[in-house]
Order: sequence, then structure tokens, then C-alpha cells
Amino acid sequence: MSEVKRKYVIPGELIVEGKYRPDANVIQRDDKFYSTRIGMAEYGYESIRVIPLSGPYIPRIDDLVIGTVINSSAFGWDVNISSIFSAYLPAASVYGRDYNPGQESLSDMLRIGDLIVAQIAAFDRTRDPLISINGQGLGKIPNGDIVKISTTKVPRLIGKKGAMIKTIEAGTGCRLTIGQNGVIVIVGPRDGINRSLGAIKLVEEDAHMADLTQKVQNLLSSNNDGEELNSKNNGEENGKSNK
Amino acid sequence: MPAVKKSYIVEEVRKLQMNEQISKGKRLDGRGLLDYRPIKIETNVIEKANGSARVFIGNSQVVAGIKVQIGTPFPDTPDKGLLIVNTELLPLSSAQAEPGPPSEDAIELSRVVDRGVRESKMVDLSTLAIIPGKKVRAIFADVAVLNDDGNLIDTVSCAVVSALLSTKIPKLEASDDDEIIEKETMVSLTVSDIPVPTTFAKIGESMFVDPDFEEESAMDARLTLTTTKSGAICAGQKGLPSGLTIEQVKHVAANSVIKGEEIRKIIKKAVSENGKKT
Amino acid sequence: MGNLINKGIRADGRKIDELRPYKLEVGILKNADGSAYIELGKNKIIAAVYGPKEVHPKHMVQPDKCVLRCRYHMSAFSTDTRKNPAPSRREIEISKVIREALEPAVLVEEYPRTAIDVYLEVLESDGGSRCAGITVGALALADAGINMLDLVSGCAAGKIDDTMVLDLSDNEDKEGEGDMPIAMMPVLNQITLMQIDGNITQEEFNKGIELATIGCNAMYEAQRKALMDKYFKKDDLNKEQKD
Repeated sequence: MSEVKRKYVIPGELIVEGKYRPDANVIQRDDKFYSTRIGMAEYGYESIRVIPLSGPYIPRIDDLVIGTVINSSAFGWDVNISSIFSAYLPAASVYGRDYNPGQESLSDMLRIGDLIVAQIAAFDRTRDPLISINGQGLGKIPNGDIVKISTTKVPRLIGKKGAMIKTIEAGTGCRLTIGQNGVIVIVGPRDGINRSLGAIKLVEEDAHMADLTQKVQNLLSSNNDGEELNSKNNGEENGKSNK
Repeated sequence: MPAVKKSYIVEEVRKLQMNEQISKGKRLDGRGLLDYRPIKIETNVIEKANGSARVFIGNSQVVAGIKVQIGTPFPDTPDKGLLIVNTELLPLSSAQAEPGPPSEDAIELSRVVDRGVRESKMVDLSTLAIIPGKKVRAIFADVAVLNDDGNLIDTVSCAVVSALLSTKIPKLEASDDDEIIEKETMVSLTVSDIPVPTTFAKIGESMFVDPDFEEESAMDARLTLTTTKSGAICAGQKGLPSGLTIEQVKHVAANSVIKGEEIRKIIKKAVSENGKKT
Repeated sequence: MGNLINKGIRADGRKIDELRPYKLEVGILKNADGSAYIELGKNKIIAAVYGPKEVHPKHMVQPDKCVLRCRYHMSAFSTDTRKNPAPSRREIEISKVIREALEPAVLVEEYPRTAIDVYLEVLESDGGSRCAGITVGALALADAGINMLDLVSGCAAGKIDDTMVLDLSDNEDKEGEGDMPIAMMPVLNQITLMQIDGNITQEEFNKGIELATIGCNAMYEAQRKALMDKYFKKDDLNKEQKD
């Protein structure tokens, strides 16, 4: 079993000297490895990486994202996915290749302000992200409570093989849809939603700490309903986390 | 042509929730229709200024600074001092605010705040004359908006008023040959009123006070009324295209006096507490 | 003997290599992607970073890297005499040199077709504000989670009564014979801002650099602490992560 070492680092800081394969957010100069972000550096037997604690969502192909339609043209919709660029959903991908802008009315399908869950279909350095809503579970979300957290906290919120999200759903009776871009939709009884919000807030604040699953379980199993929480989690806007 | 502010699209799902809650008398953050977010005021935050205040209403944050200097009066008011109120909607304050010449929203904000302060006559400009016709005091009230989370009119005005209330100016003496000498002694600026604007937003048919950024992005109309100590209305501004019924306007007028007095108490308390510290 | 320094003690009681009292804080604005605040003497400067984001106007887009933009602005009430809010030529020049001081530290190739905006607002000015602006601007960039090669810290050296000193106050700047604002990437040990204003000998120049380095390193420690305080305060750094 390789021993994984961890260290809190800031941009430019030397993590360690040695022989490793540099991974995310790490820069190598000779045998020295430096962080490029604020986060938790992790290095073990082979590779070295920094898990960041803040930063923008950069789309990856096949990522699940939740966004809001902000514009429509004859050929598709612009969708705010709380990322660096807004995403584009081509009408042809929704209506099929025979799509004729004159015949179909885009607003019958999606209007400005609609919430959708989509998948990143394409993205690279030369273009804005393209999304698709063809697929099971994708498409317009008619209702639910919306919460926005930092994209860097999403892996913790999902957990290993979904362990954390399952814990929250079991403890609240709600269904959570989590976008990699940090947008979350919660559906369920009002009481359960409030408890979910509390759990999400705890994960967000303590993401870098140990025993997180236990803490969340404790929070949810206590009968204390706590104070009524705002779905937007105390003033977040535009996908920015409660920093 | 000044720029039109980029708008933020609120999700339809959120708007539906907002409407549902508001029709039951509550908002998404749990507030009632007549509840302000927490208001925090600190004065004397800028040492080089004659007076200053930092104000939070919820997460909206602004800093006001007062500089009092010697100037020449306007030709048509030779024995009155000058009061210039200016608000900068800084690009720091939101993703929608951009550097460059002020947008029409920024200009409206600046002018509405100025009107409330000026029309209340909280500072009697005729007390600012030093040598009538030649030298008067000029009061510059400048505000930097640092974070926009809605309802900047009320936040900025609270800051200007709190800053003016804590402004200290040097005693002045005019010599025989019209030279102005600044004395060592500092005195408080004479302020005779505390005007407070209260801004109401309309969503559906409900009116509620102190909209946050999201509510502002979703609202149909806005009405601000500024009230004085005596309960008189000295300034007002309606915003956004949707119409208001006469009942709604009267409702705002009646509640502006009540909410204005509540906020006036907060301002007075903050100014006197901070005054003791310095 | 001049009245700015007497037997190695300056008018405000400081020694030649002593900084004025300072304080740094990270994450003080809710809307900005990253933000920070600095006090140095009476200087009070706030920094906000928005980005990476789409570039407007579109003709400024760079296909292979981000466009870094910087706005240094002084509030009307920040100076002894009330300042006209419109940007002055001095502010425009300072905005440029600050941008050029921060840019070497930002990994611009990681964010093609985007813009990163750094806004610095001087709420109160007391000499040395451009160096303090660089220090707080770099903090805000780190807070925004932007990949950086290193932080950047700034400090000015100067000449008063024929003596080189560190961190000129407003009065020392006005009455003294020379002013040397300097900024550097502390880990890489590279100077990214240098300006000189006055009349100094070669030897004084070398002494100035030595002093400024002390100042920049002190600022770097303060930056590090501010970031640690915001991101890692709750946890005991020695505790091992089990999750």
C-alpha cells in the first residue's frame, strides 16, 4: 500500500522534490514540483497532483451539467452553465437532422429561463462548449430547489462511487441532481430539502477535512431541523460558492 | 448613448418559487415582505476624509467618503455652499458592471441618491458660506459601490447620510484680505435631518421591501420614496416599465415612513457608537 | 541633519528596513470570483478578480491565451484633495505597469479565448499604493482559483536624507529624494515591476533592491497567511485524511 502524503499549498509553492509524474495543477522544474493553485497537494508512489479549493468550471466531454437558457436564435439556444463560456445547444441535435428553422418554433421546446440538465458533447481550446439533451435523464427540469456550489467541491459531494450523495438522499428522502459545474437541483419534501441544504453546506465548507461522510451522517440523523436555509445558500450568485 | 446594463437571467423555476412564496407573504430567504436584510454601518473608516461610512445591507456593500474643501459659489447662489453627491458603480461590484463611462443605471442611482440628500435640506447650504460671493465650503460626497447584491439606492443613501452625520470640518477664519485660515479645532458639520429612502419591488401584484440581486433581476417595477424625520416625503423614483396601481403607491408611501424611521434609528445608533470610539 | 531620519530612526519611529503596519484579508466580496483587501499604513486597497470569462469586445480575443486586464483606480475621497473620479493619466500608467507585473505569474496559455479582469480600488492612499495593489491583486487572482506560476508581492524602497529606506510613507515620498517601487515573484525570485523616480547612485540602487526584497518577502508571508486563514483555518494541518 503506497503511502499518500498530503500538504496544503498555495500557488508557486514547492510541494516536494523527487521523482513523480506531474498531474493536475502541478508544474515541474528539474526534480522539484510546484503547485499552481490553492489546494491540497497529494503525492504517493507515482504521481503528484493538487486538488484545488477554488476555481472555474472547465467543461469536459460527457460531463453532466445543469444550466439556464439565456438566449435563443433560429438555430439553437445559448445556455448559462456557470462556466467560463456559455454553452450552445443546437436545435438540430434536439429536432434531428431534418430540422428546418422555418417550420419549428424553438420556443415550443425551450424558452429563456428554462432549467435544463445536459451533457457536454464537445469542447476544446478553439470553441465554446456544445451540449446535448439527448439521453436518459436529460432535458428540461420543471421544478426543484436550486443550489450553487464551487465546482471544486462536486467530487466530494458525490463521493466515492456516489457514497456521499446516497447518504444525503437516504437521510432526507430527496433526489439530488448534481452537475459537474456545481449546480444542484433538489426535489423532495420541504423538510428534506432544508436538511439537504444543510448537508451540502457542510460538505462545501469542510471539503478538505477528514471524516466528512461521518459528519454528514451525524447532521442528518439528528432530529434538529435547524434554521430555514435559503436555496441559494446565503447569497451565492452565478455559480460562485459560499467562499 | 450610455450603456444599458447587461441583465442576469433568473431561472423560471426560481421565479415560480418566488411568486408562490410572495403570495404567502414570504420570500425565498425567509424574510417577510416588509423585512430588510441585516444593516451594518461603520463610520470613520477613511482617515483622510472629513467623514466616511461603510454600509452593508445584506451583501450589498458600499463606502462613502466626504471631502470638504474651499470653493467658489455658483453665480446665482453667491451665499450658498456646494454639495455634490456622486456614486461610482465600480466594476468590482458585479459581473454585470463594466469599466468605462457610467451606464444609465449608474447615473440614475447617483442622481436619485443626490436628490434625497439635497431635497431633505439635511445640510443647510447657506451655513457653508465663508466670504459670500467669493468663498464657500464645497462638500463632496462620493460613494464607491463594492458589492451589488440589490437595493443600491438604499445602501448608498445610508452611507452618504451616515458619513455626513460623522463629518468633522476645521473651523475657518477669514482675514481682512479675504485669506481663509484653517484653525486646528474640528467641529461637526451641522446636519438637521436624516433622510432615508426605502425601495419597494413589485413581483406579480405583491410589493416588498429591499430586493436582493436576484429579486431585482426578477422584479417588474420598483418604487423608492425618501422620507425625512418629520415623515415628509422629499424624493421619489419609480423604475422599470411595469405599472403600479394607486393602492400600491399609497401602500409604499405609508410603509416608507415606518421603515424609514426604523432605519433612521439604526443610523443614529451607529453614528453615535462609532463617534465614541474615535 | 534632515528631519526625515535621525540616527537611523524615521519620523514615524521606524528603522530603515521596517514596514508600516499591515493587514491582508482574502475573500471579502461576494460577487467577485476572487477578492482581497490590504491595509498598509493608511493605504486601504481592495482587489476584485472576474474571470476567466468571455472576452468583450470580441476583437480583443486571443486564440491561444487569456487577455489579462487591470484597472487601478483611486476613489474620489482617497487623497488629501478630492480627486475627480474619471481615470487620470497617472492611474492609466499604473494600471499598465501593474498588469505587466502580474501577467508573468499567470499561466495565460491555460485559458485561451478568455479575459481575466483585475480591479483595484484605492479607498485611501498613503504612498506605495501601486506595490500594495500588486500584492492584493495577486491574492485575488489566487483566490479566484486561477493557475499561477507564483504569487507576486510588491514593496517600495526609497531615498530620504541620503539614506535608503524601505516602504516610504506618503510624507517620505513627497519630501524624499527617490522612490523605487518593486514587485517580484517570490519563489522564482524574479522582478516583475521596477520603477525609479529620483536621483540615486549605483550603490544606493543596489541597497534599494536589497531592502525591497526584504519588503516583498514580508508581504509574501502575509499573503500566504491570509490564504491559509481563509482556506485551511478549520483544520489541523497534521491530521491525516481518511475519507
